[in-house]
Parts: sequence; C-alpha cells; structure tokens
Amino acid sequence: MKSADYASSQYICLERDNMNTPKIVCQNISKIFIQKGTQRVHVLQDISLEVRDNEFLVILGPGQCGKSTLLRIIAGLETPSEGTVLLDGQTVTKPGPDRGLVFQSYMLFAWRTVMGNVEMGPKLNGVPKAERRKIAQHYINLVGLQKFENHYPHQLSGGMKQRVGIARAYANGPQVMLLDEPFGQLDAQTRIFMEQETERIWQTEKRTVLFVTNNIDEAIFLADRIVSLEGKLPGRMASVYDIDLPRPREHTDMKFLHLRQMITDASTLTL
Amino acid sequence: MSAMIKQPTNSGTGDRAIANEVQEAVGEKKPMTIYRVITNEYFLYCVSTVTFLLVWQVIGQSDMFKGALASPVQVVLRFDRMLTDTLAGLTLWGHIWASTSRVLIGFALASAFAIPIGLFMALNPYVDAIIKPVFDIFKPMPPIAWVSIAILWFGIGEPSKIFIIVIGTFVPCLLNAYTGIRLIEPELYDVVKVLGGNRRDEIIQVSFPASFPAIFAGLQISLSNAWTCVLAAELVASRSGLGFIIVQGMKMSDTSLVIGGMVIIAIVAWTTSLLVIILEKLVCPWKRKLEGF
Amino acid sequence: MAYESVKVEKPLSLILLPILSVFTFFSAWELIVDTGIVPSTMLAAPSAVIKLFLIKLTDPNPDGAILAAHAWTSGKEAFIGYLLSLAFGLPLGLLMGWFTVVRGLARPIFELIRPIPPIAWIPLTIFWFGIGIEGKVFIIWLGGVVPCVINAFVGVRMTNPTLIQMARTYGASDWQIFVQLCIPSALPMVFGALQIALVCCWVNLVGAELLAADQGLGYLISMGRRLALPDMVVLGMVCVGFVGAVIGYAIERLECRLLAGIRR
Ligand SMILES: Nc1ncnc2c1ncn2[C@@H]1O[C@H](COP(=O)(O)OP(=O)(O)O)[C@@H](O)[C@H]1O
Ligand SMILES: [Mg+2]
Repeated sequence: MKSADYASSQYICLERDNMNTPKIVCQNISKIFIQKGTQRVHVLQDISLEVRDNEFLVILGPGQCGKSTLLRIIAGLETPSEGTVLLDGQTVTKPGPDRGLVFQSYMLFAWRTVMGNVEMGPKLNGVPKAERRKIAQHYINLVGLQKFENHYPHQLSGGMKQRVGIARAYANGPQVMLLDEPFGQLDAQTRIFMEQETERIWQTEKRTVLFVTNNIDEAIFLADRIVSLEGKLPGRMASVYDIDLPRPREHTDMKFLHLRQMITDASTLTL
Repeated sequence: MSAMIKQPTNSGTGDRAIANEVQEAVGEKKPMTIYRVITNEYFLYCVSTVTFLLVWQVIGQSDMFKGALASPVQVVLRFDRMLTDTLAGLTLWGHIWASTSRVLIGFALASAFAIPIGLFMALNPYVDAIIKPVFDIFKPMPPIAWVSIAILWFGIGEPSKIFIIVIGTFVPCLLNAYTGIRLIEPELYDVVKVLGGNRRDEIIQVSFPASFPAIFAGLQISLSNAWTCVLAAELVASRSGLGFIIVQGMKMSDTSLVIGGMVIIAIVAWTTSLLVIILEKLVCPWKRKLEGF
Repeated sequence: MAYESVKVEKPLSLILLPILSVFTFFSAWELIVDTGIVPSTMLAAPSAVIKLFLIKLTDPNPDGAILAAHAWTSGKEAFIGYLLSLAFGLPLGLLMGWFTVVRGLARPIFELIRPIPPIAWIPLTIFWFGIGIEGKVFIIWLGGVVPCVINAFVGVRMTNPTLIQMARTYGASDWQIFVQLCIPSALPMVFGALQIALVCCWVNLVGAELLAADQGLGYLISMGRRLALPDMVVLGMVCVGFVGAVIGYAIERLECRLLAGIRR
C-alpha cells in the first residue's frame, strides 16, 4: 500500500507543474478484427480522445459498438490497427501494472480466495508476502469486504465479486483504472449502490478512471465527462458532454434529469 | 459448499449491499406422515436394497437358473472361507492386493507421463502439431485390444499387465489435461497480463490451477479403465488377482466364487475412486459441487 | 461496410509438422521391424499388415472367416447391444431424474452394479447364455447402459426449476411436467448419451469377444495372439480403431446438426 500511494502522490506533484499534458491520449484509433480466419470486422474507427489526470471519464455506448475493444486497446491487450495510445506521452505497446482493468464478467481466479485474488498483482510484481498482505487488506477494507478474505469467489454474490475485481485492480497501484461495464450483470438496486461505492472509492483514492457503460444514468451519475460512441459498427465518437453537476449527485435532480433527456435524445438519433 | 456467508456486523460501508445479496436457505420442518415416509428417498433406498437381496436369495435357492446363480448367503459363506483358505497360494487379501498393486503402479506410471505431456501439448502449438496426429491414431483403440499385443511382447508376467494398464490409462489422462487447458477462458490470461505477469506467470497462476478439475475428471476415467484392463489381463492369463478368482470360479463351475469376485471388484474399485475424490477435495478446495449423479 | 472477407494463412511449419510426424511414425515402425531391431514374431510392419488385410478380404484362413464377416458379426453385436442400452437406459434415467420413487428404488441397485467393469460379467454370461451372441450383447449392453442412465438423469435434474414452478402454477400434473418440460430440456444431455454410449459399446466389444467367441474383430485379435501372428493382432486393432474413429466422427457431425436445429 505504501509503495502504491507513494508512486501516485509523487505523480500528482509532477503533474501540478504541467497541468495541460493529458494522462492518456488516443490518436485516431481504428481497429479491424479478423474473425474465423476469413472475415474482417471493422470495430472502431478514428477514435481520438484525451483523458486528464484524475478525471472520471465515462465511455457510453450500446452493446456491441466496440467499447470493450477500445478499453482493451488502452490496456495494451490489443494493438490498434491504426493510431496510437499515449500514456504520459509514452506509446502503449503492452499491458502494464500502471493500468488496472476491471472486467465485465468479473474474471476472478476461482481457485484463490478473496485475499489471494486481491494480492495477485503485488505478488506478480515481487512484493514480499507480509507487505502485499497489508496492501490487499487495505483495499479489501476499502471495498467493504472485510471478513470475507477467506471466501472463494463462488461463495460470493455478483456485487461482492465485482468488489473483489475492483480491489484487485486497485491493489496493484495503477495510475489509471479501466472499468469495463463493471456493473452490467448486477440487479438495479445493487447497481445503484455500487455506483455510490465507486464514487466513494474514487474520492478516497483519486485515480484517472475510464469507465465503460451502456447505462446513461450510471454515466451521468459518475462522470466528469462523457464520451458517447455511435451505436453501430464501426464505432465512432458521437459527442462529448462535460458533466459539472456537484457531487454527490442525485438521480432525481432537475439538472440530472435534463442532462439525461438530452443524452438520450442524442443517442437515439445515432442508433 | 452452499453460500454460507456471515453478515458483517460493523463494516460501516458494505452492510446494506451485502445484506441484500446474501441468500440463506432455511430448512422447513414438516410433520411426519406415512406418505412422506414412503416417498422419502433414503427409506426407498433401504427398501430397494433389501428387496434386491431377498429376490436374489430366493432365485438363488430355487433352481430357476439351474445352479448358475449363487445366492447372497452362499457367496458370503464362500468368501468367509476364502479369507483363510488359499487359492493358488494366496488368500483373498493376497488376490486383492495383487490386482490393486497392478492398478496403482500402472495408474501412477501413466499419469506421471500423460499429464505433463498433455499439458505441454496444450501450451505449445509445435509440440501439439508433432504429438497430436500420432496420438489421434492410438486414441480410438480400445484398451482391451492391447491385451493381445502385450502378451506377445511381454509374455504373461507382471510387465504385460502393467503395460496394458498404462496404455488404458494414458489416453484419458492426456486428453483431459489437454482439453482442461484448451477450455480455459482466454480473458483469465488477460487478467495476469494486466496485473504485470509474464507468460510464465500465466501458466503457473492460471493454466495449472484452472486445469485441475479436468485432470481429476480424467483420473477418475483412467482409474475405471485401469480396473477394466487389469481384469482383462487377469482373465486372459494370470495366477493371481481378482480376475483370476473369477476365472477359477468359472473353470470350477463355482458361481459363488464368480459372483463374490465381482462384488469384491466393485468394492475395491469404488474405494480407489473414493480416494481420488478425497485427493481432489484436498487439492481443489475451491471447486463448487455441481449437479451430478 | 463493417464486415468483409479476407484469407489468413497458418504458419507453414504448423501445417507441415503433423504430416511429417505421422510419416516419421510409420517409417520408424516399418524400419524397426524390417531391420530386425524388433523381431517379426512380436510386431508386424505396416506393410505386412496391409498385405494381410488384402489377403483377409477373401481368405477365411486361418481363423475361419473373411474380414467382412468378422466386422459384420462385431457390428451386429455392438449395434443390438447399443439399441438395447438406449431402450432401457434412457427411459430409466429420465424417470429416475423426475420421480422420487423410481430414483429411490433404482439408484441403490444401479450404484451396486456400476463399479463392476462389464468384462467381469463374462464368466457369468457364459454360465447363463453359453457362447452365443446373447452373452456378448449382454456385456455390450452393460457398457452402454451406464452412460445412458447417468446422462438422462442429469439432463432431467438440470431442468430450470423456475420453469417447473411456472408449470405448477398453471396446474400441470407431475406427468405433464415430466413429458412436456423435463424431457425436452434433457434432450441435449440425451444426445450426449447417444454418443458416449455408442463409444462405450464399441470399446466393450473387444472385451465381450475376449473369452468366448468364434467370430468378430475381437476374436480376430485373440486368435492372432493364440496363433502368435502379430500381423493379425495389429490388423484387428486397426480395424477396431478405425471403425471407432469413424463412428465417433459421424456422431459428432450429426450432433452438431441436431443441436443446431434444436437451438434455433
Ligand atoms: N478478439 C476478437 N476477435 C474478433 N472479433 C472481436 C474480438 N473482440 C471483439 N470482437 C468483435 O468486436 C465487436 C465489438 O465488441 P466489443 O468491443 O466487445 O463491444 P462492446 O463492449 O461495446 O459490447 C463485436 O461484434 C465482436 O464480435
Ligand atoms: Mg463489452
């Protein structure tokens, strides 16, 4: 935990000096997949965006429009067919512990306990056992899973599994958190609660966050800025919204509803 | 096994959500009625077992099968004698041990080679391209078909029996280790990559543990194959073992010996498979119990 | 347009290696026999096996029947045993899955018999049926019936409980639920059973013909051993293996077709 905090706080100090260099830059990203060895699928076209340091950026779009692909490109799991991704001015070529990814379908290691899952990142990076236990425990507490350390994933509910996913990504001390529809499989109530939790965690441990969702409410509730994608392949950028509502936000706030109306109208146009 | 989740008392943050997400099974107490007793599964188990034994006893005593079916009582008495008398120089325990040791040696040998080869094939496309085609030639060959070759090669001694068991056990071990790795969700590897792991970490942290359940399923199949093979080998040519007891019974027209031999085989085979299950519980405590037989 | 067609090549080495590997395997086999490293009384070279195959197409000596007759006998036994195991095992498994009474009564007996390898029944079947076809069919049936029962049982048990509750709220009787809900939802598992049982039956064939037989592919193998003719043993094994592979492949294709039809 120490090392992670240290890294990020030092980073923030550096960043104060040149506030105008963005954290992540995507330059004209396109992606073409080859399916079943014979078919080319054009998934993303000409995506350009900049993410500021400690910004909560939400990428909004309906299913199958390439949101996950974009996130995986930024994570370094896929290489873009055209264009580049820059992280602090460096081209991204492969995944690294500076970016943490939370998966839509949890992707927990079924054979490890909650503790084992959360401490995986530090373990892979050679952090000694006692220290990584401490780091993991800190993030387990942060996501509210204390007392569940020794449970296996199949003993947890969906919301709890995703908390483990979030804690696992955080425990590796990333500067950027990438979340891919993390609450897509949860019921509405748990989902709203998890959104509040996400905001709380983000306020406690400020990070640059890229959050992918298909839910307009969720986007407005969380985002500093929303980038919406067009609803058909290839996915292009549709529009960008700055959300400057004060936090914590209320779903029933007039301004909230107004924004929601606006984004809904705009996105049905592009469908 | 079931979701036994204790509610945290003072976690401060997670209380509400976690409490909502917990599902607890509450057992209902229903009054005992005759209908409920009769339709109780365990009651029916007892009824069925007792009826089975009784019917068998009655048929065995009558001469419906003209003496070709020994009754349970005859079988038990015969095997009581076998515990102290010897058949071909060995008591019953000796014969049980003869078969079991063959199975264990062949089984251990085969899994020691087959599992690593299967893992290696699944992890390296070049090894796969070399071994898979040759393996596919041998795959559909029934294990018992090897009995004859084994006797031509090794005669009728111990080596030929071990060889047959190794052959019969090899295929499912290798195949399950192979498919176990092939069926792993590729995104799990992405998790390791994103956390900063390399290819070696992917294999150690994901490939191996994720393939354990499939490997154990393969061991179960292998074990039952191994018992079939050892019996086949002992039926064809041997001086000891449970298969030998059955053949002796056949030659002496002693059905109580034959049936008793079969019962003992069932018990011993069942015990060894129970051992594999226990081993699996120890190695994979995380495995959820699935709906099965 | 988002979709268009392209062609991607596999690395050449991954196409060549399997061919090379099979070729090396057969030439090594041929060579170790031809050069006498392994005596020809123990192993027959592939060429010898092919030669015997051509001879056995027409010549009934020394084992008493031409190859086609052996294959016909084995095929007949396996097929009858297979059909009987389906006819008995599937209904039993389905009923056991749904009706507690059937499950309670049949399960202990099934569990008693299941761990006994089918070939352990050979001596008893000789007492009961002699060495005719019935004994062999019985052994093959035993091999096939176990996977049928298990798959049908598990298939019924995996029926979505919500659907069952829904049917109950509409007032469906136990029997109606069983026929109209449980059986359809068990179908994929039942198709699995068709495949597994056929493979089990075919594998058991060699065991069934191990001791008491006068014709069949398993008998051909045993005869080869008794006459110390390795080419005959290998020929028998290749025939059994080849037919087994063809059956497995055919069923896999059929299953793909059928299941694709069901999922629509
Ligand atoms: N690895 C891949 N290979 C081929 N096609 C892919 C791959 N990953 C995604 N796709 C295709 O890209 C499209 C968009 O997928 P995705 O990025 O997952 O969308 P979203 O997350 O918005 O639902 C889908 O049609 C999918 O078939
Ligand atoms: Mg997605």
